Amino acid sequence: MKLERLISPDRRILYLLIALGTAIPILVRIGFPVSATPPVEAVFDAIAQFDADDVVLLSFDYGPNVAPECSPMGEAILRHCFERRIPVILIAFFPVGGITMAGEVIERVLSEYPAVRPGEDYVFLGYKDGAQAAMKQMGVAFANVFPVDNDRRPLAELPLMQRVTNYSDISLVVTLTTNVIGDWWINLVNAQFKVPIAIGATAVSAPKFYAFLDSGQAIGMLGGLKGASEYEHLLVAAYPHLRPLYERPGFYTAMKGMDAQTVDHALIMLFIVLGNLFYLLAKRRKARPSAV
Amino acid sequence: MFWKLRLPLILTLLVGSVPVVTFFLTDRVPGVSFVRDKVEGYMVIIYGFALLLGVVNVIQSSVRKIEQRRSGWPFAVSLLAGLFVMGGFGILSAIRVGPFQGLLANAGGGMTPFSWMTSHMFNPLQAAMFSLLAFYIASAAFRSLRVRNLDGAMLIGAAFIVMLGRTPLGEYAFGWLPGGETWLPRVTDWIMAIPNTAAQRGIIIGAALGAASLSLRVILGIERSYLGAQEK
Amino acid sequence: MTQWIGLWIGAFLTLCIFSFLYRDNPFFRFAESLFAGISLGYYVGNVSANTLAPNLFRPLFLDFAGHADLLIPLLLGLNLYARFVPRIAWTARISLAVYIAYYVGINMVQKIQGEVVPQLGATIISPWGGAFTRLDNLILIVGVLSVLVYFYFSIEHKGAVGAFSRLGVWFLMLGFGAAFGYTVMGRISLLIGRMNYLFIDVLQTTARALG
Repeated sequence: MKLERLISPDRRILYLLIALGTAIPILVRIGFPVSATPPVEAVFDAIAQFDADDVVLLSFDYGPNVAPECSPMGEAILRHCFERRIPVILIAFFPVGGITMAGEVIERVLSEYPAVRPGEDYVFLGYKDGAQAAMKQMGVAFANVFPVDNDRRPLAELPLMQRVTNYSDISLVVTLTTNVIGDWWINLVNAQFKVPIAIGATAVSAPKFYAFLDSGQAIGMLGGLKGASEYEHLLVAAYPHLRPLYERPGFYTAMKGMDAQTVDHALIMLFIVLGNLFYLLAKRRKARPSAV
Repeated sequence: MFWKLRLPLILTLLVGSVPVVTFFLTDRVPGVSFVRDKVEGYMVIIYGFALLLGVVNVIQSSVRKIEQRRSGWPFAVSLLAGLFVMGGFGILSAIRVGPFQGLLANAGGGMTPFSWMTSHMFNPLQAAMFSLLAFYIASAAFRSLRVRNLDGAMLIGAAFIVMLGRTPLGEYAFGWLPGGETWLPRVTDWIMAIPNTAAQRGIIIGAALGAASLSLRVILGIERSYLGAQEK
Repeated sequence: MTQWIGLWIGAFLTLCIFSFLYRDNPFFRFAESLFAGISLGYYVGNVSANTLAPNLFRPLFLDFAGHADLLIPLLLGLNLYARFVPRIAWTARISLAVYIAYYVGINMVQKIQGEVVPQLGATIISPWGGAFTRLDNLILIVGVLSVLVYFYFSIEHKGAVGAFSRLGVWFLMLGFGAAFGYTVMGRISLLIGRMNYLFIDVLQTTARALG
């Protein structure tokens, strides 16, 4: 009887354990080490080679539901670009919150770089519907899709947009994506316009993008919270003055999030082992002939 | 018959051919790029209108639910309240009226009503809805994930290795052996780079061929389900 | 002050959603319906401000002569809503045909040129050399082919085809296992964000406000 209860315990006990496994490492910092993997290093090294003559296009193709994974990626990449004085063009194609996420990331990072000049060091073009048609037309001219920037200034008035007409003036596109919009950057923009693409993918969609990494259609990838933490780790190693920012109490970073991630992974693996163990024991007990 | 069926099918053939024809002929035939640019510009706008079709549907069904006092009708009121308030703020922000000077921030850098509602209602609600999945996956891991055969064992084995290898646990697992802290991460990297890539690539190719053939069927008018119910 | 009130409204709504974990209740259903309404309202605001205003209405109103052709997408877009008027619902098919046809056409090019050809090209590699070791290259080639054979349902999977298809299943199991591991990571990340919001953003801001 007890074993049957162990096989199917009250779900709420499992929910409570996961909640505690997430909350405790957030409140009590553990500080698990982070090490980088080749796909993340590829993105970091690509941006590390750029300078003020290059332009990076950063596309926010995710919503608030996956912000804990993708926003740290966006912040780290934006900080990296600003540290190297690489001009950045920011856009959003995700209809359910993409522009909001872009605005939040820009606001947070800009507060740390007061010398960065809007219109010269970065341009925020905003959101546009019909991503596929928009991406295709941006191959002709960005101004055909975004006649004005997010603050309603015509693109012709922005110094950065005077030297960027279309993809041929872009050194790298970084897409922070949940799923299909990342596919479009690869199978449309990279395929037809040969622009290098780097992916910042949520963990759910990251396994698929390994096929594009292998085929060379993407130059590198940040996969999920782990990928974000790896990029932060590389950034702090290259720019030690950013360490106090990333270690500031109450400031959410992917590296801090990995503490809770690690504990929860351990819990989930324990659940799988225990669930199967109790199931096997119950199966064996049923198979045993009952005592006379 | 012509207006209700033949004309849509002719338009499907013509407009559906535009991306294909312009892909091959843009630099070779004068005038093709003009057509391409115009059509792509129009499609961005039409996509916006299409995205809002669902809004009308939801308003209709919610109003009907309230009128008929069906079970749960008060929640239809909260749905419509959220829709009209947020949508109203958004439209006022689009035409820049009074304090509604843009979606994200006003000229002084402060929050607009739309951005306030987005930050304190839309973001928390969407994030909380999706974070419920973490609890469900934990419950499924204990109650449903069973190793019943070789295939299941391979699936769970690969999941274990990836879950370990993608966290610092992977380094600690064999870290007590000389050079052991890199074993599990390297095995994880291999699983992602080889068998996972092979599987994902097979799925991508198969799905892409299926999607391309369906696209061709739609353009040629063989597949007509997107037009809805047709008169006999 | 409004920031502090907003944080607590967000926390209340988050807890309303989480209350579903205990059981279904009116607080959850209120938050769920509010979420549905606010999401649709967000769509309306986003599309109006970021696409319809700058790309359609402002050019039409500011320079009608120069942008008169924008009447075409305006009429086609508005025509989509004819489906809600029974007498003229059939006219919406015209706009639907244009809209669906374009995206279906662009999709076809993307799938063939952007996925099938490059992915096949990346599989036609020498098993004796390349980016990985010889064995890895061979495993990759065999894996892709066996998965494709598994998904080919026009012939019966028996004999040699059946065995090769079985190999494809094993590759799929490894791929799905890896995907499950990443999915766990993804779902947990979402919860980490919410917990961080509740315990750090809300409580810390409140503690600071109370001095």
